[in-house]
Amino acid sequence: MRALPVVLAFAMWVAPGLCVAQSASATPKPGDALPDWSGVWSMVGGTVFDRATQTGEGGATSVGVRSHPPYNAEWEAIYTSHLERRDKNLFPDTISNCGVPAGFPRHFNLPDPYEFVVRPEQVWVLTENGPNVLRIYTDGRKHLDDQWATYTGDSVGHWEGDTLVFTTMALKGFRDKDVILDRTGLVLSDQSRATTRIRKIDPKTIQVEMTIEDPKALTKPWVVTKQFQKMPAGTRVYDYGCAENNRNPADVETGKTLILGPDGKPLNK
Amino acid sequence: MRTHALLLGSAAIALCLGVAQSTLAEAHHSGAGFNSDKVIELTGTIKEFQFTNPHTWIQIVVEDNKGAKTEWSVEWGSPNSLGRQGIRPSTFPAGAKVSMRLRPMLNGAPAGAFVGAKFADGTTVGRWE
Repeated sequence: MRALPVVLAFAMWVAPGLCVAQSASATPKPGDALPDWSGVWSMVGGTVFDRATQTGEGGATSVGVRSHPPYNAEWEAIYTSHLERRDKNLFPDTISNCGVPAGFPRHFNLPDPYEFVVRPEQVWVLTENGPNVLRIYTDGRKHLDDQWATYTGDSVGHWEGDTLVFTTMALKGFRDKDVILDRTGLVLSDQSRATTRIRKIDPKTIQVEMTIEDPKALTKPWVVTKQFQKMPAGTRVYDYGCAENNRNPADVETGKTLILGPDGKPLNK
Repeated sequence: MRTHALLLGSAAIALCLGVAQSTLAEAHHSGAGFNSDKVIELTGTIKEFQFTNPHTWIQIVVEDNKGAKTEWSVEWGSPNSLGRQGIRPSTFPAGAKVSMRLRPMLNGAPAGAFVGAKFADGTTVGRWE
Protein backbone atom coordinates (compact mmCIF):
# COMPACT_ATOMS: atom_id res chain seq x y z
CA MET A 1 0.00 0.00 0.00
CA ARG A 2 1.39 3.32 -1.01
CA ALA A 3 -0.90 5.53 1.01
CA LEU A 4 1.67 6.71 3.47
CA PRO A 5 0.67 9.60 5.66
CA VAL A 6 3.86 11.34 6.64
CA VAL A 7 4.23 12.04 10.32
CA LEU A 8 5.17 15.66 11.01
CA ALA A 9 6.30 15.18 14.58
CA PHE A 10 7.19 12.36 16.82
CA ALA A 11 4.11 12.68 18.97
CA MET A 12 4.42 9.53 21.00
CA TRP A 13 6.69 9.71 23.94
CA VAL A 14 6.96 6.35 25.57
CA ALA A 15 9.05 4.32 27.91
CA PRO A 16 10.27 7.10 30.13
CA GLY A 17 13.75 6.42 31.41
CA LEU A 18 14.65 6.30 35.05
CA CYS A 19 16.88 9.10 36.20
CA VAL A 20 19.11 7.79 38.94
CA ALA A 21 20.92 10.28 41.09
CA GLN A 22 24.33 9.27 42.22
CA SER A 23 26.78 10.38 44.80
CA ALA A 24 28.71 13.53 44.05
CA SER A 25 32.02 11.82 43.43
CA ALA A 26 33.80 13.44 40.50
CA THR A 27 35.02 10.22 38.96
CA PRO A 28 32.56 7.34 38.91
CA LYS A 29 33.85 4.05 40.15
CA PRO A 30 32.73 0.65 38.91
CA GLY A 31 29.35 -0.04 40.41
CA ASP A 32 28.40 3.60 40.88
CA ALA A 33 24.92 4.42 39.67
CA LEU A 34 24.86 6.64 36.61
CA PRO A 35 21.87 8.39 35.06
CA ASP A 36 19.86 6.48 32.51
CA TRP A 37 20.07 8.50 29.30
CA SER A 38 19.36 5.50 27.11
CA GLY A 39 17.16 5.72 24.06
CA VAL A 40 17.13 8.02 21.06
CA TRP A 41 16.63 11.76 21.32
CA SER A 42 15.75 14.63 19.02
CA MET A 43 16.62 18.30 19.46
CA VAL A 44 13.69 20.58 20.19
CA GLY A 45 13.27 23.54 17.86
CA GLY A 46 15.02 24.61 14.70
CA THR A 47 18.73 24.68 14.01
CA VAL A 48 19.00 28.46 13.99
CA PHE A 49 19.94 30.10 17.29
CA ASP A 50 18.45 33.52 16.68
CA ARG A 51 15.03 33.66 15.02
CA ALA A 52 15.38 37.40 14.66
CA THR A 53 17.78 36.69 11.79
CA GLN A 54 15.12 34.84 9.79
CA THR A 55 14.48 37.23 6.94
CA GLY A 56 12.90 34.74 4.58
CA GLU A 57 15.74 35.32 2.13
CA GLY A 58 18.45 32.89 1.15
CA GLY A 59 16.61 29.91 2.56
CA ALA A 60 16.19 31.51 5.97
CA THR A 61 13.06 29.76 7.12
CA SER A 62 13.95 27.84 10.25
CA VAL A 63 12.53 28.79 13.58
CA GLY A 64 14.94 29.00 16.48
CA VAL A 65 15.24 30.45 19.93
CA ARG A 66 16.27 34.05 20.50
CA SER A 67 19.82 33.58 21.55
CA HIS A 68 21.98 36.17 19.88
CA PRO A 69 25.52 36.00 21.26
CA PRO A 70 26.86 39.17 22.92
CA TYR A 71 29.37 39.97 20.20
CA ASN A 72 31.82 42.83 20.42
CA ALA A 73 31.73 45.34 17.56
CA GLU A 74 34.31 43.53 15.44
CA TRP A 75 32.53 40.18 15.55
CA GLU A 76 29.08 41.72 15.25
CA ALA A 77 30.30 43.16 11.96
CA ILE A 78 31.57 39.74 10.89
CA TYR A 79 28.22 38.17 11.72
CA THR A 80 26.30 40.91 9.96
CA SER A 81 28.35 40.34 6.83
CA HIS A 82 27.54 36.64 7.00
CA LEU A 83 23.83 37.38 7.29
CA GLU A 84 24.01 39.63 4.24
CA ARG A 85 25.69 36.86 2.25
CA ARG A 86 23.13 34.35 3.56
CA ASP A 87 20.30 36.51 2.23
CA LYS A 88 21.90 36.19 -1.23
CA ASN A 89 22.44 32.44 -0.86
CA LEU A 90 26.18 33.07 -0.87
CA PHE A 91 27.11 32.00 2.64
CA PRO A 92 28.25 28.36 2.47
CA ASP A 93 27.32 25.93 5.17
CA THR A 94 30.56 24.23 6.11
CA ILE A 95 28.94 20.81 6.40
CA SER A 96 27.22 20.94 3.00
CA ASN A 97 30.29 19.52 1.30
CA CYS A 98 30.38 16.51 3.61
CA GLY A 99 33.94 16.74 4.78
CA VAL A 100 34.22 18.17 8.28
CA PRO A 101 32.59 17.60 11.68
CA ALA A 102 29.90 19.98 12.82
CA GLY A 103 32.18 20.97 15.69
CA PHE A 104 31.35 22.38 19.10
CA PRO A 105 28.87 23.88 20.03
CA ARG A 106 27.05 23.07 16.77
CA HIS A 107 27.21 19.45 17.89
CA PHE A 108 24.17 20.28 20.03
CA ASN A 109 22.40 22.10 17.20
CA LEU A 110 21.72 19.39 14.63
CA PRO A 111 18.63 17.74 13.19
CA ASP A 112 18.06 13.98 13.31
CA PRO A 113 18.54 11.57 16.24
CA TYR A 114 20.97 11.86 19.13
CA GLU A 115 22.23 9.21 21.52
CA PHE A 116 23.76 9.95 24.94
CA VAL A 117 25.90 6.98 25.94
CA VAL A 118 26.92 7.04 29.59
CA ARG A 119 29.90 5.01 30.75
CA PRO A 120 31.89 5.42 33.94
CA GLU A 121 34.98 6.73 32.18
CA GLN A 122 33.40 8.62 29.26
CA VAL A 123 30.14 9.96 27.92
CA TRP A 124 29.60 9.88 24.19
CA VAL A 125 27.10 12.13 22.45
CA LEU A 126 26.43 10.61 19.06
CA THR A 127 24.57 12.35 16.26
CA GLU A 128 23.15 10.58 13.25
CA ASN A 129 23.55 13.74 11.21
CA GLY A 130 27.13 13.97 10.08
CA PRO A 131 27.68 11.61 11.86
CA ASN A 132 29.46 13.26 14.78
CA VAL A 133 30.90 12.01 18.05
CA LEU A 134 31.54 14.15 21.14
CA ARG A 135 33.67 12.36 23.73
CA ILE A 136 33.55 13.69 27.26
CA TYR A 137 36.18 12.18 29.54
CA THR A 138 35.05 11.56 33.12
CA ASP A 139 37.98 9.41 34.24
CA GLY A 140 39.73 12.17 36.10
CA ARG A 141 42.08 13.31 33.36
CA LYS A 142 42.81 16.98 32.75
CA HIS A 143 43.01 19.04 29.59
CA LEU A 144 46.44 18.96 28.00
CA ASP A 145 48.43 22.15 28.38
CA ASP A 146 49.51 21.91 24.76
CA GLN A 147 46.29 20.60 23.23
CA TRP A 148 45.99 21.63 19.59
CA ALA A 149 42.72 22.98 18.28
CA THR A 150 40.15 20.75 16.58
CA TYR A 151 36.55 21.08 15.38
CA THR A 152 35.01 19.47 18.46
CA GLY A 153 37.77 20.35 20.89
CA ASP A 154 38.70 18.51 24.08
CA SER A 155 36.02 17.84 26.68
CA VAL A 156 36.76 16.83 30.28
CA GLY A 157 34.14 16.59 32.97
CA HIS A 158 32.72 15.09 36.12
CA TRP A 159 29.41 14.20 37.68
CA GLU A 160 27.57 16.42 40.15
CA GLY A 161 24.78 14.12 41.20
CA ASP A 162 22.74 13.43 38.06
CA THR A 163 24.34 16.31 36.16
CA LEU A 164 27.29 15.92 33.85
CA VAL A 165 29.49 19.02 34.00
CA PHE A 166 32.33 19.42 31.52
CA THR A 167 34.59 21.98 29.96
CA THR A 168 35.40 22.11 26.27
CA MET A 169 38.51 23.85 24.98
CA ALA A 170 40.99 23.75 22.10
CA LEU A 171 38.36 24.72 19.52
CA LYS A 172 39.17 25.93 16.02
CA GLY A 173 36.21 28.23 15.96
CA PHE A 174 36.11 30.27 12.75
CA ARG A 175 39.91 30.40 12.47
CA ASP A 176 39.94 28.35 9.27
CA LYS A 177 36.46 29.40 8.10
CA ASP A 178 35.20 25.83 8.39
CA VAL A 179 33.24 25.84 11.65
CA ILE A 180 29.94 27.67 12.04
CA LEU A 181 27.23 27.38 14.67
CA ASP A 182 24.30 27.54 12.32
CA ARG A 183 23.43 28.40 8.74
CA THR A 184 23.09 32.10 9.43
CA GLY A 185 26.86 32.30 9.76
CA LEU A 186 26.96 32.51 13.54
CA VAL A 187 30.59 31.97 14.50
CA LEU A 188 32.99 31.99 17.44
CA SER A 189 36.74 32.49 17.58
CA ASP A 190 39.57 30.08 18.30
CA GLN A 191 39.61 31.50 21.82
CA SER A 192 36.16 30.14 22.59
CA ARG A 193 35.60 27.60 25.32
CA ALA A 194 32.56 26.36 27.18
CA THR A 195 31.29 24.89 30.39
CA THR A 196 28.36 22.59 29.75
CA ARG A 197 25.84 21.02 32.10
CA ILE A 198 23.74 18.10 30.89
CA ARG A 199 20.87 16.75 32.94
CA LYS A 200 17.72 14.78 32.38
CA ILE A 201 15.12 17.22 33.63
CA ASP A 202 12.21 14.82 33.22
CA PRO A 203 11.84 11.28 31.87
CA LYS A 204 11.50 12.47 28.28
CA THR A 205 13.75 15.55 28.24
CA ILE A 206 17.51 15.98 28.37
CA GLN A 207 18.71 19.55 28.79
CA VAL A 208 22.08 20.86 27.66
CA GLU A 209 23.13 24.24 29.04
CA MET A 210 26.28 25.69 27.53
CA THR A 211 28.02 28.73 28.97
CA ILE A 212 30.31 29.91 26.21
CA GLU A 213 33.18 32.29 26.80
CA ASP A 214 35.17 33.91 24.03
CA PRO A 215 37.45 36.83 24.97
CA LYS A 216 38.12 37.54 21.30
CA ALA A 217 34.50 37.68 20.09
CA LEU A 218 32.14 38.12 23.05
CA THR A 219 31.68 40.88 25.61
CA LYS A 220 30.36 38.48 28.25
CA PRO A 221 29.55 34.77 28.63
CA TRP A 222 26.81 33.50 26.32
CA VAL A 223 24.45 30.95 27.84
CA VAL A 224 22.69 28.68 25.37
CA THR A 225 20.19 26.01 26.35
CA LYS A 226 19.14 23.16 24.09
CA GLN A 227 16.63 20.47 24.95
CA PHE A 228 16.28 17.00 23.51
CA GLN A 229 13.09 14.98 23.60
CA LYS A 230 12.93 11.22 23.71
CA MET A 231 11.88 9.59 20.47
CA PRO A 232 9.58 6.55 20.39
CA ALA A 233 10.98 3.34 21.83
CA GLY A 234 12.60 1.21 19.18
CA THR A 235 13.63 4.14 16.99
CA ARG A 236 16.56 3.13 14.80
CA VAL A 237 19.57 5.28 13.96
CA TYR A 238 21.15 4.82 10.56
CA ASP A 239 24.21 5.56 8.45
CA TYR A 240 24.52 9.14 7.33
CA GLY A 241 26.75 8.79 4.29
CA CYS A 242 26.81 12.49 3.49
CA ALA A 243 28.98 11.95 0.41
CA GLU A 244 26.83 9.10 -0.90
CA ASN A 245 24.77 11.28 -3.20
CA ASN A 246 25.35 14.91 -2.26
CA ARG A 247 23.53 16.93 -4.90
CA ASN A 248 23.71 20.17 -2.89
CA PRO A 249 27.37 21.10 -2.51
CA ALA A 250 28.46 24.65 -1.79
CA ASP A 251 30.25 26.31 -4.71
CA VAL A 252 33.83 26.78 -3.55
CA GLU A 253 34.16 30.00 -5.55
CA THR A 254 30.97 31.81 -4.63
CA GLY A 255 29.64 30.01 -1.56
CA LYS A 256 26.35 29.43 -3.31
CA THR A 257 24.46 26.26 -2.47
CA LEU A 258 24.24 24.38 -5.75
CA ILE A 259 21.53 22.03 -6.91
CA LEU A 260 22.90 19.31 -9.16
CA GLY A 261 20.92 17.69 -11.93
CA PRO A 262 20.95 13.96 -12.64
CA ASP A 263 24.07 14.41 -14.77
CA GLY A 264 25.95 15.99 -11.85
CA LYS A 265 25.99 19.45 -13.42
CA PRO A 266 24.68 22.44 -11.45
CA LEU A 267 21.18 23.60 -12.27
CA ASN A 268 21.79 26.98 -10.61
CA LYS A 269 25.45 27.83 -11.18
CA MET B 1 -0.82 8.18 -20.20
CA ARG B 2 -1.00 11.78 -21.15
CA THR B 3 1.39 13.84 -19.13
CA HIS B 4 1.45 17.53 -18.50
CA ALA B 5 2.71 20.22 -16.21
CA LEU B 6 0.20 22.33 -14.36
CA LEU B 7 0.94 25.49 -12.47
CA LEU B 8 -1.29 25.77 -9.45
CA GLY B 9 -2.85 29.02 -8.36
CA SER B 10 -1.57 30.88 -5.38
CA ALA B 11 -4.60 29.86 -3.35
CA ALA B 12 -3.42 26.30 -3.39
CA ILE B 13 0.12 27.20 -2.57
CA ALA B 14 -0.53 28.00 1.05
CA LEU B 15 -1.73 24.46 1.59
CA CYS B 16 1.46 22.93 0.43
CA LEU B 17 3.97 23.94 3.03
CA GLY B 18 4.73 21.09 5.31
CA VAL B 19 6.84 18.02 5.34
CA ALA B 20 9.16 18.85 2.49
CA GLN B 21 9.79 22.36 3.71
CA SER B 22 10.53 21.38 7.26
CA THR B 23 12.71 18.54 6.07
CA LEU B 24 14.86 20.67 3.83
CA ALA B 25 14.94 23.54 6.26
CA GLU B 26 16.70 21.27 8.73
CA ALA B 27 18.78 19.59 6.09
CA HIS B 28 22.51 19.62 5.59
CA HIS B 29 22.23 22.42 3.07
CA SER B 30 20.34 25.62 2.45
CA GLY B 31 17.00 25.44 0.66
CA ALA B 32 17.60 28.82 -0.91
CA GLY B 33 17.43 27.55 -4.49
CA PHE B 34 13.77 26.64 -4.20
CA ASN B 35 10.77 28.93 -4.35
CA SER B 36 9.04 28.67 -0.99
CA ASP B 37 6.10 30.73 -2.28
CA LYS B 38 5.07 28.54 -5.18
CA VAL B 39 3.96 24.97 -5.72
CA ILE B 40 3.66 23.38 -9.14
CA GLU B 41 2.15 20.07 -10.11
CA LEU B 42 3.69 17.67 -12.59
CA THR B 43 2.38 14.43 -14.00
CA GLY B 44 4.82 11.92 -15.36
CA THR B 45 6.60 8.62 -14.98
CA ILE B 46 9.01 7.68 -12.21
CA LYS B 47 12.47 7.02 -13.59
CA GLU B 48 14.33 6.47 -10.34
CA PHE B 49 13.97 6.99 -6.60
CA GLN B 50 17.44 7.72 -5.24
CA PHE B 51 17.01 6.56 -1.64
CA THR B 52 20.39 7.93 -0.61
CA ASN B 53 22.01 10.28 1.89
CA PRO B 54 22.10 13.09 2.58
CA HIS B 55 18.85 13.53 0.66
CA THR B 56 16.54 11.42 -1.41
CA TRP B 57 15.77 12.44 -4.99
CA ILE B 58 12.86 11.40 -7.13
CA GLN B 59 13.62 11.46 -10.86
CA ILE B 60 10.42 11.86 -12.87
CA VAL B 61 10.08 12.15 -16.66
CA VAL B 62 7.43 14.59 -17.82
CA GLU B 63 6.18 14.83 -21.39
CA ASP B 64 4.66 18.05 -22.68
CA ASN B 65 1.83 18.49 -25.17
CA LYS B 66 4.27 18.31 -28.08
CA GLY B 67 5.82 15.08 -26.93
CA ALA B 68 9.04 16.58 -25.62
CA LYS B 69 10.30 14.81 -22.51
CA THR B 70 11.97 16.51 -19.55
CA GLU B 71 13.54 14.79 -16.56
CA TRP B 72 12.74 16.55 -13.28
CA SER B 73 14.69 16.12 -10.05
CA VAL B 74 12.61 16.34 -6.90
CA GLU B 75 14.45 16.53 -3.60
CA TRP B 76 13.06 15.09 -0.39
CA GLY B 77 14.33 14.36 3.12
CA SER B 78 17.06 12.01 4.23
CA PRO B 79 16.36 8.32 3.72
CA ASN B 80 16.92 7.86 7.46
CA SER B 81 14.25 10.34 8.46
CA LEU B 82 11.82 9.21 5.79
CA GLY B 83 12.49 5.56 6.55
CA ARG B 84 11.52 6.14 10.17
CA GLN B 85 8.23 7.52 8.86
CA GLY B 86 7.48 4.49 6.71
CA ILE B 87 8.88 5.59 3.36
CA ARG B 88 10.84 2.91 1.50
CA PRO B 89 12.87 2.68 -1.74
CA SER B 90 9.82 0.95 -3.20
CA THR B 91 7.56 3.92 -2.43
CA PHE B 92 8.29 5.36 -5.88
CA PRO B 93 8.82 2.36 -8.20
CA ALA B 94 10.35 2.98 -11.61
CA GLY B 95 7.70 3.13 -14.31
CA ALA B 96 4.89 4.24 -12.01
CA LYS B 97 2.62 7.02 -13.24
CA VAL B 98 2.31 9.77 -10.68
CA SER B 99 1.27 13.36 -10.16
CA MET B 100 3.69 15.30 -8.00
CA ARG B 101 3.63 18.66 -6.27
CA LEU B 102 6.85 20.47 -5.59
CA ARG B 103 8.35 23.85 -4.81
CA PRO B 104 10.24 24.63 -8.00
CA MET B 105 13.67 26.12 -8.42
CA LEU B 106 13.77 29.88 -8.55
CA ASN B 107 15.52 29.94 -11.89
CA GLY B 108 13.05 27.66 -13.66
CA ALA B 109 15.36 24.66 -13.95
CA PRO B 110 13.57 21.28 -13.85
CA ALA B 111 13.95 20.53 -10.15
CA GLY B 112 12.21 21.26 -6.88
CA ALA B 113 11.50 20.32 -3.30
CA PHE B 114 8.98 17.54 -2.76
CA VAL B 115 5.58 18.36 -1.29
CA GLY B 116 3.37 15.39 -2.18
CA ALA B 117 2.44 12.82 -4.78
CA LYS B 118 -0.64 10.97 -5.97
CA PHE B 119 -0.53 7.72 -7.90
CA ALA B 120 -2.93 6.67 -10.63
CA ASP B 121 -4.79 4.41 -8.17
CA GLY B 122 -5.46 7.36 -5.88
CA THR B 123 -2.95 6.56 -3.17
CA THR B 124 -0.94 9.51 -1.91
CA VAL B 125 2.45 10.19 -0.35
CA GLY B 126 3.32 13.29 1.64
CA ARG B 127 1.07 16.35 1.64
CA TRP B 128 -1.83 16.11 -0.83
CA GLU B 129 -4.85 17.79 0.70
